[in-house]
Amino acid sequence: MIATGFAVTTLLLSVALGKSARRNKIKDSPYECGMLPIGESQPRFSVKFYLVAMLFVIFDIEVVFMYPWALTFRDFLARDQAAMVFWSMSGFVGILLVAYLYALKKGALSWES
Amino acid sequence: MMPSLNEYLMVSGLLFAIGFAGVLMRRNIIIIFMCLEMMLSAANLSLVAFWRFGNGQGMPAQGYDAQVLVFFVIAVAAAEVAVGLAIIVALFRARCTVHVEDLNSMKG
Amino acid sequence: MLPYYLEICVVVLGSLMLCMELFAGRRSRAKIAMVGVAGLGVIFALLMFAVCSPGEDLQYWGIYHFDKWAAFYKGLALISTLLVLVMAREFAPVFKHYTSQDEEKSGIGEFYCLPIFVCSGLMWMASAKDLVTIFVSLELVTMGFYVLVAFMRRNVGSLEAGVKYLILGALSTGFLVYGIAWTFGVSGTFNLEELSVVLAGDDIPSAPVMFAFALLIAGIGFKIAVVPFQIWVPDVYQGAAMPVTAYLSVASKAAGFIVFLRVVDPFLAAPSIREPAIYLMVFVTCATLIYGNLAAIAQKNIKRLLAYSSIAHAGFLLMALPALGAAGTIAGPGPESAISFYLAGYLLMTLLCFLVLTVVRVATNGEDLTALEGLGKRSPFLAFAMLVGVASLAGIPLTVGFFGKFFLFNIAIQNAMQNGLWIVVFLAVLGAATGFYYYFKIIRAMYWEGSVSEGEVTGLKVGRLAMLAIILLVVAVFFFGIFPAPLLGLTL
Repeated sequence: MIATGFAVTTLLLSVALGKSARRNKIKDSPYECGMLPIGESQPRFSVKFYLVAMLFVIFDIEVVFMYPWALTFRDFLARDQAAMVFWSMSGFVGILLVAYLYALKKGALSWES
Repeated sequence: MMPSLNEYLMVSGLLFAIGFAGVLMRRNIIIIFMCLEMMLSAANLSLVAFWRFGNGQGMPAQGYDAQVLVFFVIAVAAAEVAVGLAIIVALFRARCTVHVEDLNSMKG
Repeated sequence: MLPYYLEICVVVLGSLMLCMELFAGRRSRAKIAMVGVAGLGVIFALLMFAVCSPGEDLQYWGIYHFDKWAAFYKGLALISTLLVLVMAREFAPVFKHYTSQDEEKSGIGEFYCLPIFVCSGLMWMASAKDLVTIFVSLELVTMGFYVLVAFMRRNVGSLEAGVKYLILGALSTGFLVYGIAWTFGVSGTFNLEELSVVLAGDDIPSAPVMFAFALLIAGIGFKIAVVPFQIWVPDVYQGAAMPVTAYLSVASKAAGFIVFLRVVDPFLAAPSIREPAIYLMVFVTCATLIYGNLAAIAQKNIKRLLAYSSIAHAGFLLMALPALGAAGTIAGPGPESAISFYLAGYLLMTLLCFLVLTVVRVATNGEDLTALEGLGKRSPFLAFAMLVGVASLAGIPLTVGFFGKFFLFNIAIQNAMQNGLWIVVFLAVLGAATGFYYYFKIIRAMYWEGSVSEGEVTGLKVGRLAMLAIILLVVAVFFFGIFPAPLLGLTL
């Protein structure tokens, strides 16, 4: 309570008292006392970046499913269901492999093109 | 002080409401997409909270079903982002815009 | 053979086709669609012969059920995917126009693979009796459709439809997950059978249960396009490619309905929340019937017209829901059977219409009602096929659509006599009457409008496989319209 109250009060106070919050045209320019920038403010990224990032996210998340599998593997061994649990994970990895091959063959992972 | 189930549900409901309001009010598709992810996170939070206080006496519920669902939701959200961003990039290339008002080629 | 091998077969088939697209030469790559059609045919035969064990309810790990409805809806998913592949082959020139003329860059091979993966999701949905599996399979289907809808990447309409479907689909996913979370919170289980046991208890707080129920309805209602979750339907149907629209309106809806029935069932069975739940359902049904039928009247684009008609059909289907678990017995087939029969008939007639429209679209490049003008002279065969499909959608006797509507009205009227709720029956009759008008617009355009000069009479080109599919569908619409028993027998 006290911490939140302090944070909120300070923020409000700084807005109310601070002069720097007042805006004008010069204040809004990117460099207040410099040259005006030429071109776009954000550099353009190649779509390749997004492609690789997306593929990373997807394959990264897939690993999440292997952790519970690894943790419960011993229990399944104890219950004599090793084959079932092994083949189900093999199927999962197999589908991933097809997806990986697809990305590789379509050139999604190569930088030069 | 240990937070109770109610507080978790409150936070998750707030997150969900913020996300939903964002989807309804924002005009930029990327931001709408971020709000949608927030709604999924809100659902995840309440799932984990419900699991943690599952048995009624403040102790976790039996089994790990809720956590498994949370994993699935995370995976689905990631896949949705991948597919979604690809579609949005394709739209941007064709129309040079990511604003919902500009999606008006179909009427009726 | 274990029933879940069917899904594994479908996934393996999809992966094989993907590998073919990657590694095979140009010649054999052209056959990907044929491999898909043949593979799905074999899997359908497996479903028919290998696992046909009526009356059995097999369970695996508590998350996978195989009963008569699961088998029925798996069959629907397989048939519709097969026909969609046939349609996509016909549609290939348009795809190339809007992606890339180069076979390799057009990604047409992937377009044939995606419905296969979607099909595995649809089949899994038919067997899902657990909220976790329902969620995962539903997402598998939706994710495939995101890509399919936005597939024509040089076509602005397709991309817009893709973005709209993406945002609203993700929104409905959010509602669904939140609803599942609350259901888990009040009941402590994801399993629908355990859920119905928990909900039947007396000490269940009704407010959070109703909250969870409403969220679940919002999530799944999106998939089956009921008002107020229908806003995506017209635009997405119009923007997407013709085969994708057909697939969306048939397979996605059928699988959505089996999930809908399974999720709604435990809530309607619980005495403490039955009444508000029924009122919620009745409200949704009435809104869907009114909106779908009225909005369809003014449409000029055929796909848009069929989109609104698909909303109206969802309304007719929902009509049977209040009878689910209601007091009193109902003569004739029960709600689940009537809905299943209607969906099967809907599959036949809708795919028939879309097959004809695909051929017309490729030949005339038009999707408005004017594109159909003079079809009666240009190609009497196609016009007749379209006539049959449209007549069946309207519910004219001797077609399968008539019996579909007949069974649903039978249930709704008997339920109304026992428990009230005449408003639903009244609106449905009104809707069916409106339906005659807007379906007749299509027939009028084909036979009485537009003058065709002699030069144009040179017929439309129809592929051999598509021709066979059209003939089979016409025969099926008539056959089940005269003898509904064989189809109905599968659902009882």
